[in-house]
Amino acid sequence: MPQNMAQPSLDEFQAIADPSRRQILRLLSKERLTINSLAENFDMSRPAVSKHIKILEYTGFISIEDIGRERYCTLKQDGFNKLQDWIAFFDTFWKDKLKKLESLLNNKTTKK
Amino acid sequence: MTKSIQHTLFFPHTPEVVWEYLTTAELLAQWLMPNDFQPIVGCDFQFRSKPKEELGFDGISYCKVLEIVPPKRLSYSWKAGPGNGQITLDSIVVWTLTAKDNGTELSLVHSGFKEIENFAIYQGMSAGWPIHVKKIGELINAAKHGSTIA
Repeated sequence: MPQNMAQPSLDEFQAIADPSRRQILRLLSKERLTINSLAENFDMSRPAVSKHIKILEYTGFISIEDIGRERYCTLKQDGFNKLQDWIAFFDTFWKDKLKKLESLLNNKTTKK
Repeated sequence: MTKSIQHTLFFPHTPEVVWEYLTTAELLAQWLMPNDFQPIVGCDFQFRSKPKEELGFDGISYCKVLEIVPPKRLSYSWKAGPGNGQITLDSIVVWTLTAKDNGTELSLVHSGFKEIENFAIYQGMSAGWPIHVKKIGELINAAKHGSTIA
C-alpha cells in the first residue's frame, strides 16, 4: 500500500466519494469505534483502513480520541455541513437570476 | 429525500420568446452569466462568475448541452469545482417550457447533485445526524416552495 495515498488536497466531496469511507461513516453513525474494531469490518489491511480514517479526520467528518491504548473515532458535524453549501448556494443563485430574467422579460412587455 | 432545486415562473410571452432568453448567449449573459453557450447538443460551454472560495468554487461552470427541443425543453450538465480541473459539483439543469394561458410556464429543475446523493445515505440513520438531515430537508423544501409565480 503506497504511503502517499492520503492526499491532503482531498476535499469533503472526494472524502465521501469512496465507498469504504462511506461505510466507515455508516458504522460510526451507530456508535463510536476504535480503529481496530473498524478495521475488522473490512477486507483491506489495517494501514489501508487507517488511511481512510485519516482522510475522514482532516476533512472534518470524524474526530479521533486516544483513550488508554485505543484510538476512538467519533462522527463530527463539520464535514457534513460543507455538503449542503452547494445546495444553499444554488438556491439563492437561481432565485436572484430568475428575478433578473423576470424583470428583463417584463421590460420587454412595457417597451412594446 | 428531495435532492433538487425547483422553480416555476409564468411569463406573458410565447414559449418562442422565452426560449430565446434561454438559448442565446447574449440574452443569457443579460440575466444569468457571461457564457459561450451554443444551442447544439453535445456542445461544451462555460458560465463565468465570481469565485466563491468558501464553497471551493473558482467561478467557472463547465457545462454540456444534453438536450434541445425548441421551444419546449433544454438541459445541460453543470460541473464546477475549486480549479485545476477538480470537479466537486456534478449536476444537471433542466428547463421546461409549456404554453399556458396566453403565456409560458417556465420550470427549472437543478438536480443530480452527486455529493448530495452520497450524503443522502445518511438519512434515517438511528444516531448521529437527525438535526442535519432535518436542516437540509428544510433548505430544499424552502427552495421548492419558494417558487416564484409571476
